[in-house]
Amino acid sequence: MEWWNAGPVALMINTLVALSSQLFGSFGLTIIILTIIIRACMYPLTAKQLRSSRAMQGLQPRVAELQKKYAKDKQKLAEEQMKLYKESGVSPAGCAVPMLIQFPIWIALYQSIIRVLAVTPEDLLGLSRLLWSWPVVYSVLPLNSQFLWFNMVSPNPGVAVLVGVTMWLSQKMVTPSVSDPQQKAQSQMMLWMMPLLFGFIAMSLPSGLALYWITSNIISMVMQYFVIGGWGSLARGGASGRELRGRIVQAEAATPEAAGADIVDSSSTPKEGVDEGEYGVKRQLRGGGHKASLKSIRRDSGRGKSHRS
Amino acid sequence: MQIRRNRKRWGKVWLLVALLIIAGVVLCGCYGSQPKGWSGATAADGRLFVGSLDGRLVGVNTSDGSPLWLDKEAGTLGTSGSNVAIYGSPAVEGELVYLAGYNGKVYAFVSESGALRWIYPREGNLNPIAASVVVSQGKVYFGCSDGSIYALDAATGDKLWSFETGSKVWSTPTADGDTLYIGSFDKKLYALNTGDGSKRWEFEAGGAIVSPPLVYENAVYFGSFDRYFYAVDAASGSLRWRSEVMGGKWFWAKPVIYNDAIYASNLDGKVYILDAASGREVAGAVDLGNPASSAPVLVGDKVVLATEEGDVYALDTAGYQKGLPIIDVREESGDIPKSTSRRIYAPLSADNGVVYIKAQTASEGVLYAVDVARQETLWSRSLVISEGD
Repeated sequence: MEWWNAGPVALMINTLVALSSQLFGSFGLTIIILTIIIRACMYPLTAKQLRSSRAMQGLQPRVAELQKKYAKDKQKLAEEQMKLYKESGVSPAGCAVPMLIQFPIWIALYQSIIRVLAVTPEDLLGLSRLLWSWPVVYSVLPLNSQFLWFNMVSPNPGVAVLVGVTMWLSQKMVTPSVSDPQQKAQSQMMLWMMPLLFGFIAMSLPSGLALYWITSNIISMVMQYFVIGGWGSLARGGASGRELRGRIVQAEAATPEAAGADIVDSSSTPKEGVDEGEYGVKRQLRGGGHKASLKSIRRDSGRGKSHRS
Repeated sequence: MQIRRNRKRWGKVWLLVALLIIAGVVLCGCYGSQPKGWSGATAADGRLFVGSLDGRLVGVNTSDGSPLWLDKEAGTLGTSGSNVAIYGSPAVEGELVYLAGYNGKVYAFVSESGALRWIYPREGNLNPIAASVVVSQGKVYFGCSDGSIYALDAATGDKLWSFETGSKVWSTPTADGDTLYIGSFDKKLYALNTGDGSKRWEFEAGGAIVSPPLVYENAVYFGSFDRYFYAVDAASGSLRWRSEVMGGKWFWAKPVIYNDAIYASNLDGKVYILDAASGREVAGAVDLGNPASSAPVLVGDKVVLATEEGDVYALDTAGYQKGLPIIDVREESGDIPKSTSRRIYAPLSADNGVVYIKAQTASEGVLYAVDVARQETLWSRSLVISEGD
């Protein structure tokens, strides 16, 4: 991993330190600004990932139908699913690939922050090996670790809680409202598990790293707001109760062929404009149940295909 | 069928959660290193004292490296098994050996037995102490990560005074007469009155100061994180010179002086040889090939230096030639097996023509005694003391 430390990590470390010298030596401010810059540079990838995952969510009712229809024939099910994705112009890899591309950048930033914080003498000594001969880099270190009310070198319970809260809000925005009890339990568990896990980890890590997570979560929320065109599930927090059940009943009545299948709450995609930029259309779903959603997806995917051709 | 599908789904979720936990632990564990310490050895009256990686003061005879005590509780910092990291070398005065731990405590042990005499603070802990303590005229001085410099009564461990700087203090102080010199992360070198801790003067460099200052003929010499080496007047704190040459990386270790030439090792792997009067280079920098974070030591007319990688050189002060390594601590030596991961970070020390080198792997410290003139390893031993010793 010598190339990794000498390349991406060293680049990130020297950028962090140089940027810090321009920001009054405040490492806290530096973490926030660099996280914003990096996330802004990666916006096209993030947006693509969000759009793909939204499109995948939109297809879930049809996927559920197929799963029920071909429950006993796995090969046929796989073929039909691929066919559905192809027809709809949606690629399952569209969610994963942008995330995979961004992942090394996140890791490099994460490691750089830990190294620049240089908690122990070994860390500080090790940091010197990764510094480039930029005039400002050497003299500005070690950086001021005090930021707002906390010291970024040591864990801080308040900051750890903020990690959990911002992560929960960010996740809640993109968590689809589903009616299927199993899926619902699953998504609820993920909604709570990740923030709790990261909050717990933040309790034992330098709070400088927690500051990066908080900033990153807030940026994610802002990006999600613009990509999905609103606050997503956060805005309809109360719609998951009686209103949701009412919609499900309506949807089932309107689509007898889909009765018994997993039904995606129409409000999970519809009210906001879903910018299908990668397909060249701006889709405005207005709810009205499962059938309407499917029609809309088919129509949009058709447009997408013609646009690409 | 439904139950099986549920199981599969839950299985996937739990797998994902487990992967997240593992990733978190791996990422945290790999890049936020635990403090290990790099205490050096101090020789006095035929005995050698050093802090081990398992948080103990180890005492051995300089003649053969045999341990002074075998009691497992003797010389232990903190509670048994707590493995307190020790960065400072022990200081010896009279019958006591003083040592500071990264746990924020200073200890005084009896040199004969390793028995604890006193501990400061008695209750609670200071912030981490990442340098050596210094004993002079019945007082113990040390800098702390809380940004303060402390003076304690060497006999009792009672606090006499403290002085607050603007940032962490990871530098070892130097006492000269009634003045204490010490650098801080706030880029300043302080001269304090040892009597009451009042400030005589302060000098601001261009970067943080970790290198312990060297006092020689009314001047204080030290290197800084701005990569320059400085000389300031010991009485007034005014700048005498700043080196023309700039190091490739930080000046970290305490320099040595011989024949009015200062030998300052830098983390760029070079030793800069500067004229004490002018700061100009006496000769071109000697390239050791690897960073040298351990402080060099003067043995006769040789400056003995160690690289982190484990090569120890005896630099000839006449021709400024480093020659071949007098020892490579990665190689097998006596009962010490070969280990490519063995490194040298601790300051070197010398007594009667013998240099004492503390090398370490991630888990074990090893002590070497090398006769510099004969370039011969007299003995080597692990710092893990067992009853078989």
